Amino acid sequence: MHENEHIKRLLSAIALNNDQTACKELFLLLHSRLKQFAYSILKSGEEAEELVSDVFIRIWQKRDQLTTIDSPLFYFYTTTKNLSLNRLKKQKRQVSLSAEDWLVQMNSIYFNPEQLMMTEEIMRQIKKAVNDLPSRCRLIFKLIKEDGLKYKEVADLLQLSVKTIEAQMAIALRRISKCMHFDIKNSLHYTGIKK
Amino acid sequence: MSQEIFWVLLSKKLSGEASPAELKDLENLVLEHAEWQYAIQNLEDLWKQQPPKDDMQAEDAYMLHLHRMKEMNIAFGDMPEPLPAIIGKNRIRKWYWAAAASIAFALGLFAFNKFFNNNSEKTLVAREVNEISTRQGSKTKVELPDGSVVWLNAGSKLTYNKEYGQQLREVTLTGEGYFDVVKMKEKPFIIHTSNINIKVLGTVFNVTAYPEDKQTETSLIHGSIEVTIKNRPNNKIILSPNEKLVVYNEPGENGNTHLKEKEIPEKIPLVAIKQLTYQNNDTIAVEAAWIRDKLSFKNELFADVAKKMERWYDVTFEFENKRKENLLMYGTFTTETVEEALAALEFSFGFRYKIEHKKVTIY
Repeated sequence: MHENEHIKRLLSAIALNNDQTACKELFLLLHSRLKQFAYSILKSGEEAEELVSDVFIRIWQKRDQLTTIDSPLFYFYTTTKNLSLNRLKKQKRQVSLSAEDWLVQMNSIYFNPEQLMMTEEIMRQIKKAVNDLPSRCRLIFKLIKEDGLKYKEVADLLQLSVKTIEAQMAIALRRISKCMHFDIKNSLHYTGIKK
Repeated sequence: MSQEIFWVLLSKKLSGEASPAELKDLENLVLEHAEWQYAIQNLEDLWKQQPPKDDMQAEDAYMLHLHRMKEMNIAFGDMPEPLPAIIGKNRIRKWYWAAAASIAFALGLFAFNKFFNNNSEKTLVAREVNEISTRQGSKTKVELPDGSVVWLNAGSKLTYNKEYGQQLREVTLTGEGYFDVVKMKEKPFIIHTSNINIKVLGTVFNVTAYPEDKQTETSLIHGSIEVTIKNRPNNKIILSPNEKLVVYNEPGENGNTHLKEKEIPEKIPLVAIKQLTYQNNDTIAVEAAWIRDKLSFKNELFADVAKKMERWYDVTFEFENKRKENLLMYGTFTTETVEEALAALEFSFGFRYKIEHKKVTIY
């Protein structure tokens, strides 16, 4: 995946040249995704914001080791997860390792109706279908569809099997497509009357 | 059964996880079920979409990140001055500060002993004091000798004497200021307002202390600060980020009318800790939006909004229809003129107004 390659280039610029521009570009590229992921564990926007900053502080402090990272995107998510869980432990808040409790912010999954040949009503229903997914399913869907992680990576991150990821993705797609089936029936009905 | 496999294969294909064999299987399945074609097409379109990039939000977050690194003393080359950049260079009009600086009359070094006259005797030797003030409708930015930065909102005044930074860093504020205080453990930064003192070590926060307002507000953006109320020096209030402290200057005047004056000990203001307010999709709290050139309010009474607008636009308000003072309003204005702002509010909240020579009448 070329995003990983892009991140690798930025990381080696940081590792080899202390490149601050690369640091900034990387931050801008990953900030919102990592923040949302941290939010799903910490359940506080402000803490998630600080946590992303912590992740990048760690990156900066360990910059001499950055060139050895194989899958950088996954590395960022793992670091975000570990630091988030550490933070919960420090605050003696309940540490939840089960992905069931991980929250995904409503509307963090994005659709732009203008680019799609769909009515607004259909878009609204798709959004609702996504938001109505069980939280674990929604998180998996988001990490793969929006954030560009691999099945295997999401499985490792959430301590689930790849089979579970496959099944959860299938559920998500089926539910979303139900809204579209509804549309096709309606439109057939409509053209039927016209004829 | 084939249905379940179909969804597994389709999601793998969309995510780029499917093997060539799986792609072939999927193709065969679709040939048997032409009715799935429409959903497939739409899902593929859906998949191609990238989430929108909110660069401005990320830029702001990055500046806060640099600021944190600086606070933690983590070397990061030649870091840019954090707070000026928080404003976001693409959002601020560059000429603005220059214009504001020329409007604001920075009166350096003149004798002023009122604020340091603790024992109310006028025999104290007058000390040399720096005073910076802003007129209605203008703002300015002040850099103090230790590098701390203060944005001063309209109709405000900041003073400090020449001993500033020797043992303590003491300033006096009337009006509203947004403070970014350089961390110095051994030299606390203290802000005096008419009814509270705020002691900080190094942090970012906003203080609103206009004499004509019925309350004094201290909003903490990050770090931590300690607030003491002048009549109760032993009660220290520690604020956490995203909290604000509201001190009511004249208790019982508005909204608290059920409290009889007898029940409130004389001269002790009422105090409340509240959460900062955020508008939809905004990363900066309403309380501090003004430093980004935004006039912002959420669920505030028209009477209070009018006071903000008076300072912001340098106009005066008169309510011929007193009932309209109690309209609850929300809104954000940036480049709008006072006429445009009023027209928008009129449309949303239902009142009538006329404006003549900087005087707004609500009826």
